[in-house]
Amino acid sequence: MAVYTQLLVRRYLSTRIIPLIAVAAVGLCVALVVIVVSVMSGFLDNLRASGRTLMGDVVISYPVQGIPYYKEFIADVLKLPGAAAATPLVDTYGLLRMPYPGGPNKDVVTAQVWAIEPETFAQVTELDRTIWWKPAASPQEALAMAEDDPRRQQDLSGLYEDAKVLRDRATGRPGALLGMHVSIVNQRQRDGSYRPRNSMWWMPNHEITVTLVPISEKGTVSQSNSRVFKVVNEVMSGVFQVDKNRVFIPLKEGQELLRLDEAPIVDTTAVPDASGNYPVIGTSPARATQILVRAKEGVTPDELRVQVAEAYEQFYLQKSADPSVRTRPPATEYVSIMTWEQRLRDLIAPVEKERQMMRILFSITYLVCAGLILAIFWSIVSEKTRDIGILRAIGASRMGVLWIFLRYGLTIGMVGSGVGIALAWLVIRNINAIHMALGNDAPRWLYVTFFLLAAGSAALTVRALTRSRILSVLLWTVATLALVGIGTGLVLHRGFLIWDPAVYYFATIPSEMDWNNAWITAVGAIVFSVLGAAVPAARAADIDPVRALRYE
Amino acid sequence: MTMHPHSTPPHAAEGVLLSACDVVRTYRMGRVEVPVLKSASIDVKPGEWVAILGSSGSGKSTLLHLLGGLDRADSGTVTFRGEHVGGYSQSRLDRYRNEHIGFVFQFYHLLPELNVLENTLLPATIGIGRFEWMRRQGEIRDRARMLLERFGLSHRFRHRPAELSGGERQRVAIARALMHNPDVLLADEPTGNLDAKTGDTILDMIAEQHRAGLTVVMVTHDQWIAARADRTVHLVDGRVA
Ligand SMILES: Nc1ncnc2c1ncn2[C@@H]1O[C@H](COP(=O)(O)OP(=O)(O)OP(=O)(O)O)[C@@H](O)[C@H]1O
Ligand SMILES: [Mg+2]
Repeated sequence: MAVYTQLLVRRYLSTRIIPLIAVAAVGLCVALVVIVVSVMSGFLDNLRASGRTLMGDVVISYPVQGIPYYKEFIADVLKLPGAAAATPLVDTYGLLRMPYPGGPNKDVVTAQVWAIEPETFAQVTELDRTIWWKPAASPQEALAMAEDDPRRQQDLSGLYEDAKVLRDRATGRPGALLGMHVSIVNQRQRDGSYRPRNSMWWMPNHEITVTLVPISEKGTVSQSNSRVFKVVNEVMSGVFQVDKNRVFIPLKEGQELLRLDEAPIVDTTAVPDASGNYPVIGTSPARATQILVRAKEGVTPDELRVQVAEAYEQFYLQKSADPSVRTRPPATEYVSIMTWEQRLRDLIAPVEKERQMMRILFSITYLVCAGLILAIFWSIVSEKTRDIGILRAIGASRMGVLWIFLRYGLTIGMVGSGVGIALAWLVIRNINAIHMALGNDAPRWLYVTFFLLAAGSAALTVRALTRSRILSVLLWTVATLALVGIGTGLVLHRGFLIWDPAVYYFATIPSEMDWNNAWITAVGAIVFSVLGAAVPAARAADIDPVRALRYE
Repeated sequence: MTMHPHSTPPHAAEGVLLSACDVVRTYRMGRVEVPVLKSASIDVKPGEWVAILGSSGSGKSTLLHLLGGLDRADSGTVTFRGEHVGGYSQSRLDRYRNEHIGFVFQFYHLLPELNVLENTLLPATIGIGRFEWMRRQGEIRDRARMLLERFGLSHRFRHRPAELSGGERQRVAIARALMHNPDVLLADEPTGNLDAKTGDTILDMIAEQHRAGLTVVMVTHDQWIAARADRTVHLVDGRVA
């Protein structure tokens, strides 16, 4: 293209303030859209990932009574083409007696107790990853931790190994894994790590007493059973409801506490023997209230669910037909076999709805941004109408003139998009830090700085007054008021968390940039910048040069 | 009509360089039609300096724009070296303005974002590819500097138009118009916005170019200024008298 277009684009961009405003507008629009979409889609991704982290792909559940002969069923499941791993567990509600406070009266909390087989459970879920007190995976990770992080100060490899087997390996006592927020001890830091509120109550040094209530086949409550567990570690799944409520203990102990373990069946109608025992006429099999299954790579949860349901039907038919089986498994229709998505539907549905809402809001945001960009370019190009007339008079073609403004729009669109993406990236990367900062009262230095700036601005207002510059007086007055306003706002600001982990599902705001969306948004912004410049430029190129020259 | 004794016309052939024949131009303002030029004719010979005199609103600028290919007549013909300008394609017309015509306006019409040197260079950068620009850049810049120096603007190369006086701006505008060695200089009240003394120096500059062989058509409503031309025509009631 001709040389003059390049020269003019460069001069139009470099000698005026308005392109900077346009770049800022485009950048802010892009950043806004990218940030909100990234956080929203990150939220959904988290939800999806957490489903697998917490419960694998398919869950078979028959609460309270449990499924007998579950080991045989698991063996069947593992033969399925789609199943990679499976694990039994017993889930119930129970009471935890915490070690704190000092003195004889301790805190007692209710909790969701999951009795698991740690080795197979870790194959189905991502238990290892959620264990908190463990050595850093790499020296870099260790260096990234704060000086006073307990994970940096002591060797946690022993605790980590204990957690993986749910046992205090030194004494052989059964261990318990607590959700990070089950105790009141752990305090979340700004960097997302935890410190014990009082190092004396750091949970892995203590024991808890778990009390569970067995329920009979008739649905009545029997005598409750208690047992002491060594806290071997704590887990952080990132899902607040889980981290607040869940406690893991070994499956065997759980079954015993709930009387779901293997036990002899005795005939109480017969005559007891010399030591007062009734004759044994069979064995009641151990039970599991849930079986979690993980799909092989490439198998969807839905496909696996169908396979598992068929396997269960077979298992049920086979057990029912076997005359030696006294305790039949529940019929298929009473057993819930669901994918994790179905189990989490209560949670996912509102998020999906929210996403729909967001889509609508975004379409509006996009339109507003597009309109804004169009308006800015319209005014920029209109102001240049006379220049267009001049250029035509000295021989510039209509296409040449159009091209100047297309390049102008393109440059502003690209720079603005770049700025917007960079800004969005910075904000998204630090969104949790920003959020935590908002959650605290403003630091003194910050508002003092604002008041000092306001004082400076006030001085400039006075100076402008003495020189009777109306515009300067106006601008500096506005600046002073704005700075005083921000400073006062900061003084009055009492920390509040917009994203309260107690209310929202996840403990942290997703901080991954949605790059696909970012590129689309950037391209959109560029297109609208070019369009915004092209429409008035085409109009200007269309009007005859004489008219353009007369344009005021 | 009368040739200046020292002039060496660029087009040795006698006859007419640029002419308008019975041109009609009517502006439409809503439902009302305003006939500005009713049947105007003018012949400009090579090397000639013609002044067009007329009262305000008589259509002087309109006629000049038609001659310069900036506007098209409703009827009648504009011819340049015997070619029918009205029949030019859009791109041929752009080239005509760029290569053969130099415009000077009453309000200077410099581009505010470009400095003096860049404003002067501008016509040379239009219609030239990047490759040719790279090859001929030095030569083109030299010519722009030479013109500006000749007009006493050697210390103003990097200044913006806003930093110049009216007379200085008009000198830049003339340098720009001459940049591409046009065949005809079309000046629309070039001194209309200047005081008498400054206006005189501008007219001296035009006279100097004219002596060197440049054909000039100048619009004015001041007969003293018109007196500096070789020939004066009057535009009255949409016709050249
Ligand atoms: N684009 C236009 N639309 C409508 N009317 C126009 C347009 N351009 C010019 N006119 C009208 O045409 C008439 C002649 O205009 P022109 O500019 O040619 O006059 P002029 O002789 O140059 O006047 P002046 O000496 O004031 O510059 C004026 O009445 C003007 O209002
Ligand atoms: Mg005029």
